[in-house]
Amino acid sequence: MTSFHFDIGSRARQAGRFIGRVRGEFLRALSEKKAEAGFSQQAMAQKLDVHRSLINRQFSGEAPLTLRSLADLAWAMDMEISFELKKPIARAGQNQPAATTTIKHGQIRFVKGEIKRNSVPAAPENRQPLQVKKSA
Amino acid sequence: MSTIEELVAAGAILPIEVEMSAGGQPMRLLYGTPGFICWLDEIVNSAAPKSRLGEATPAEQIDDLFHAFLVGRSLVHTRQFRAIRAEKNAVWELKTPDIRIFGWFLKKDCFVGVFGNWADQVKDHDLYRGYRIAIRRLRRELGVDDSLCVQGVTPGDVVSL
Repeated sequence: MTSFHFDIGSRARQAGRFIGRVRGEFLRALSEKKAEAGFSQQAMAQKLDVHRSLINRQFSGEAPLTLRSLADLAWAMDMEISFELKKPIARAGQNQPAATTTIKHGQIRFVKGEIKRNSVPAAPENRQPLQVKKSA
Repeated sequence: MSTIEELVAAGAILPIEVEMSAGGQPMRLLYGTPGFICWLDEIVNSAAPKSRLGEATPAEQIDDLFHAFLVGRSLVHTRQFRAIRAEKNAVWELKTPDIRIFGWFLKKDCFVGVFGNWADQVKDHDLYRGYRIAIRRLRRELGVDDSLCVQGVTPGDVVSL
């Protein structure tokens, strides 16, 4: 059966999925907080002394999330951030992410206009998701 | 009455796969029409636009969205997916900061992408109606409106949360 394998290379894949995981975790936390009485993005914006549209754009992914803004958003939601880097552990039977792509994914263009071909070997992803936990 | 297998055999849709992480297993199914696959191929092979909203490139955003969908991760309703209009046999939209993907759910947890476009183009030109009409027409032509189309419009009707 023919199928289409969407392959962007291991480096881009790791970057994109990390950014997506962080953003998804914040969206999930926001969704949970909104269920609580008295919580709103407007209240968050007031607590952080920023415009509500900035908060909205940060959650929608339209504004960049710096480490500072991540910490601020977590603080405003009364959550704490856990983060760790660890070496991947190979386990029997797990997938072996390809180190190189099998299709022509072309070039990866970076924001500053520098063009580089993906050449970083793949590494199994950190299986521990970045978690935003309620602070005690 | 068509089956998914028959649609694939006829070349009307193709399965879409992404590289799974070491411990990842597919929990949902993703398909695309040939036109959508061509658009994906262009996105992967084209240079990223000079201006974009998200921190990730469009191709990275799509890879992350597909991966999150396929491994069964919870997607946030309205932020990451929504029905264009609350109606029977709705057309659905998958969203990233820069990209919009339009299609429908063949079955629960089984999405077929038909159109993809830049988010700003979709919004600036209000393309929702056109995509909705085109997708409804395609479903009629394929004869899948009754058999291979989720009728409900709540998030729980189309994805396992």
